[in-house]
Amino acid sequence: MIDPLKAPGKIATAGMSAQSARLLVISENIANAQSVGATSGADPYSRKTISFKSEVDRLSGATMVKVAQYGIDRSPFRVEQDPGNPAADKDGNVKLPNVNLMVEMADMREANRVYQANLQVFRQTRELVSMTIDLMRT
Amino acid sequence: MIDAISKTAQLPDLQMSPSTPVTAGKAATVGGFDSVMKSVAADTVNTLYKSEMTAVAGINGKASIQQVVDQVMAAERTLQTTIAVRDKVVAAYQEISRMAI
Repeated sequence: MIDPLKAPGKIATAGMSAQSARLLVISENIANAQSVGATSGADPYSRKTISFKSEVDRLSGATMVKVAQYGIDRSPFRVEQDPGNPAADKDGNVKLPNVNLMVEMADMREANRVYQANLQVFRQTRELVSMTIDLMRT
Repeated sequence: MIDAISKTAQLPDLQMSPSTPVTAGKAATVGGFDSVMKSVAADTVNTLYKSEMTAVAGINGKASIQQVVDQVMAAERTLQTTIAVRDKVVAAYQEISRMAI
């Protein structure tokens, strides 16, 4: 069994890694919010999703968070009338990615908050360890 | 009367070093404090080494920032502990040297 004051650091690190993976996916979605297909009538960029799962770390016995899988959002694409677009089909309709910027922004805020929470756990345990070690000084 | 004092000359070598036991002989074979200190020191060196390796991997882009920070913090914690213990040991020896004879 790992030191109970050491484990939260590891768990928070795993949490931060997971949230940064989430931020990566969100940034991809936002960056590709206007990415249309390469050829006429081709499918545009599909929104990516990420899910997490808990996993017991064999070394420490602590339950860490881990990226379960990256997925693709299969919801229908937005269709706009834009005959001048190279990706427009013969009727002048362009399929745009199924990315909703509002949803991505809300997701990003949440990822941000969870990351900060993990950071706070890390900071707190570090402070407690330092204070305990400081007992040996004086 | 004088016998007790003359016997001190026959005491096994007394060394003022934390890693060698004061009574060289039976105590050393048991292990105890000596081996504990040894394992703590080895652990410290390992942690520092691991932290440096992770930092280098981080610079090369092979480790995430979180991992680097975690390892560096672990190294800092270990170093703090070692320094605190060393200070205590040194203080103990100073206390002994101040002993009224």
